Amino acid sequence: MDPRFIRNFSIIAHIDHGKSTLADQLLLQTGTITEREFRDQILDDLDVERERGITVKARAVSLRYRYKGQEYELNLVDTPGHVDFHYEVSRSLAACEGALLLVDAFQGVQAQTVANAYAAINGNLTIIPCLNKVDLPVTRIDEVLEEMQTVLGFTDEETLRTSGKSGIGVDDVLQALVERVPCPSGNPTDPLRALVFDSKYDNFRGVMTYIRVMEGTIRPGMKIRFMKGGTNHEVLEVGQFRPNNVKCDELGPGQVGYFVAGIKQLTAVHVGDTVTEAGRIAAEPLPGYKSPQQMVFCGMYPIDATDFEKLREELQKMSLNDASFSFVPETSDALGFGFRCGFLGMLHMEIIQQRLEKEAAIDLIQTAPNVTYELLMMDGAVNRVDNPQDVPVSGNIKEFREPVVKVNFIIPADGIGPIMQLCNDRRGIYKSTEYLGPTRAQIVYELPLAEVIYDMHDKLKSVTRGYGTMDYEIIGFRPADLVKMDILVKGNKVDALATIVHRAQAEKRGRSLCKRLKEEISKHQFEIPIQAALSSRVIARETISALRKNVTAKCYGGDITRKRKLWAKQKEGKKRLKQFGEVEIPQKAFLSVLDTGDD
Amino acid sequence: MSGTSAEIRSAEPRSTNPVRAAYLHIPFCKHRCGYCDFTLVARRDDLIPAYLDALELEISRALPEPLEVTTLFVGGGTPTHLSASELSRFFDIVARWFVFTEGAEVSVEANPWGLTNDKIGVLADAGINRVSLGAQSFDAALLQQLERDHTAADIESAVERLRPRIPNLSLDLIFGIPGQSLELWNDTLDRAFALRPTHLSTYGLTFEKGTAFWSRREHGALAQTPDELERAMYATAMDRLPAAGYEQYELSNFARRGFACRHNQVYWAGQPYHGFGPGAARYLNGRRDVNHRSVTAWLRRIQSGQSPVGTTEELSPEDRAREAAVIGLRRVPGLNRTRFAQQTGFALDVLFGAALQKHRQRGWLEDDGEQIRLTREGRFVADSVVVDLL
Ligand SMILES: Nc1nc2c(ncn2[C@@H]2O[C@H](COP(=O)(O)OP(=O)(O)OP(=O)(O)O)[C@@H](O)[C@H]2O)c(=O)[nH]1
Ligand code: SF4
Ligand SMILES: [Mg+2]
Repeated sequence: MDPRFIRNFSIIAHIDHGKSTLADQLLLQTGTITEREFRDQILDDLDVERERGITVKARAVSLRYRYKGQEYELNLVDTPGHVDFHYEVSRSLAACEGALLLVDAFQGVQAQTVANAYAAINGNLTIIPCLNKVDLPVTRIDEVLEEMQTVLGFTDEETLRTSGKSGIGVDDVLQALVERVPCPSGNPTDPLRALVFDSKYDNFRGVMTYIRVMEGTIRPGMKIRFMKGGTNHEVLEVGQFRPNNVKCDELGPGQVGYFVAGIKQLTAVHVGDTVTEAGRIAAEPLPGYKSPQQMVFCGMYPIDATDFEKLREELQKMSLNDASFSFVPETSDALGFGFRCGFLGMLHMEIIQQRLEKEAAIDLIQTAPNVTYELLMMDGAVNRVDNPQDVPVSGNIKEFREPVVKVNFIIPADGIGPIMQLCNDRRGIYKSTEYLGPTRAQIVYELPLAEVIYDMHDKLKSVTRGYGTMDYEIIGFRPADLVKMDILVKGNKVDALATIVHRAQAEKRGRSLCKRLKEEISKHQFEIPIQAALSSRVIARETISALRKNVTAKCYGGDITRKRKLWAKQKEGKKRLKQFGEVEIPQKAFLSVLDTGDD
Repeated sequence: MSGTSAEIRSAEPRSTNPVRAAYLHIPFCKHRCGYCDFTLVARRDDLIPAYLDALELEISRALPEPLEVTTLFVGGGTPTHLSASELSRFFDIVARWFVFTEGAEVSVEANPWGLTNDKIGVLADAGINRVSLGAQSFDAALLQQLERDHTAADIESAVERLRPRIPNLSLDLIFGIPGQSLELWNDTLDRAFALRPTHLSTYGLTFEKGTAFWSRREHGALAQTPDELERAMYATAMDRLPAAGYEQYELSNFARRGFACRHNQVYWAGQPYHGFGPGAARYLNGRRDVNHRSVTAWLRRIQSGQSPVGTTEELSPEDRAREAAVIGLRRVPGLNRTRFAQQTGFALDVLFGAALQKHRQRGWLEDDGEQIRLTREGRFVADSVVVDLL
């Protein structure tokens, strides 16, 4: 394929601004899928995506488009909009020369619109701005155009009017892609360099490696080498996504597709690696990707200890398909052998956990997430701590540092007061305010990550009646007055319940945590004291009284079915229990650590 | 879980048993008591004639010919809320469709209020030989709290008037009523003993979702009896009833020797039974059907020739075994290893080994190698035990 007739582009936007829906139309109108195959957000094919109605994985598709008598290959990448999956976006952008930036014609410029637009600008991509969902009964077209101008510098003239619902403007999009996005460069006869942008494990064929070819050509029979991974393999098949995998003869410069090389070893393929020809190695690998910085960590433990190795394998498979999470083995007195897993955010964590349970059928106990910390020790060493239980006794710590993020809020003007209040309560440092138009403003704060990830988004939505959005990026670590809070259940420290809190909030958090645990842990034969302690000083206490009575009085003919169902439900609630000493602690208890105690 | 490992032989034991039990539901009450979630309508006596017609229709469609029964139970609602003439129409239907075997147990639930001599006559003439009386309490304030319309004197009068015609009498009593002290509970037991019934049922008050009591508790207008006190009341019942000659045979049921309710034992033994009327359950060929709980829906369906069944459930052999264990454990003699295996096709220890051991260690189960039963302590927390068997 002559690179002159190839265009590579990502669709980027704030969450829910219609990327996947517009992708549907592009697939449909180029005949990539038929009317019969059509379904809404066809590229969102993971169970979690369909259940939640959001995209979590970037998906590439090759379209054929005839324009002025010439057939073009348009390689589209639909990206997720949620901030937790920003790494998917940045990887996609690195494989493209252009980007369609969608802005919802009612909602206007939002936090991830800004973040994603800047990512594309910094990657030197050609951006085609689109005012999307223009079919909506209520739009704010003029104001949104002004916002796009003010914040991002796009003019009315270059902005297309589109709707993935009604199909308005889809033709304009296709033409603009051909006319505005530069074609890829690269010589098909040069030594092969292809960027690995994703991968997936297939039980029959082994690892499927997803690539964008920069130079040279890859074809079946070729011996390839992963430049970073250092392993050689023979290519068995190459193909494109249309949208299902379709074999082809070769992939040349600018083309996007996959290859299969019978790779069974889960650790051979790394996202960001460069594929070259084993016998004709390229001089330089491609720059690849900056590895993502996991900032949210939690423990994942198999309920059934014998599932440990299986869990390891499944985590490996999952990390092939999601380069942005990490895992290392760890042990807990309370939970046994498991893994400390790192994520980009809370939604990311939920999604991975759900995918593991669904796709791998392993029942997990998950501990409450925490952010990662940095400790400056008395001896001058600087240690990273991903798990509260690894915090040493305070005497050895010179400085306790926590991650800080720059948060960009976009909110209706009347939400400014409440948001500032919220940020001040959470140890925020005010940076700036900028009006996007008469009624909307962008506010920037620096906040401790720990104050942001758990429930800031919910709080933002509630004080702005759903209209506010936010985006954040890590800016570094800062010292803070942090302490480790231990939880003792019946006198024993439960390591998996330890948390790191700000000293000023310790008592409040301790009290609310003890209360939550009292609700989550069911009564036992004996009394169970629950205590929160800093070092050995108890700061809060609750007691679960002993189980004295639990008996259903009536169970006759008509009741039997109902009563059995009731008991079965109780049993379900008890399924995810871990025995800790004499006390059974349910999964939900471990998550109660998250409760900030605000309400 | 397929359970094949635990299966000893394929079990279809009940389907071949002849059906010898029937339950008839009469869904009418004067008003609805605040704690009650039974299938009934209050202040809809206009529906009674239609109900009677529909009941006969339902029975006639289900039975090819009159059914010979060893136990029949007429429950409610308040069966005796029907007028004497309606009651006799009801029992005409019963007489047309059921044949009582020699020594059959034929029970009716009755409420003390409005139990006229006429009605007692109708019951006795119809061959009723056991009456379960909804006494609940002998304390005026507590009866009012429960929104019952009778007084202690009504109970005593009803018993005195019933006894000459139908001497086999049971009283239902409720403990754990908000405001009830241990002393008041002891009083109620004393007054019940004084009436010398053959059978006593004692129920801890349950707050059922959807009842007035439930929402009052949610709003803090009604305080649930503290666990410790309710436990003491149950303990008192388990001490005092046997001492007064009522042997406990199930978690809530006590009887003089020979007077345990045979109809309930049909349920608990997993034997088949017919059921008619709104909300009634039947268990035939291993399948449990429950009729629509709405009286009018049941009526409409019968009238239009549709099936009155609201929900149907057919359990796998393993689930049936689990249910049998759960129900069986609630009976005082508990579970017999050999009989359980014969009846269900599953070995108790294979199905529940770990759970049985756990609860033995806690002292909630006792096990002589053949028979497994709840200990006295286990009866207080029976739900915590049975949950592990499901
Ligand atoms: N009226 C209208 N609704 C649209 C349009 N495009 C998308 N929607 C609706 O907006 C919602 C989000 O659409 P998606 O296509 O899933 O949005 P997305 O940008 O892919 O979302 P993420 O991938 O989760 O960031 C869905 O309910 C769509 O039906 C449009 O052009 N017009
Ligand atoms: S009399 Fe009995 S059945 Fe009727 S409402 Fe009261 S408790 Fe319920
Ligand atoms: Mg999407």
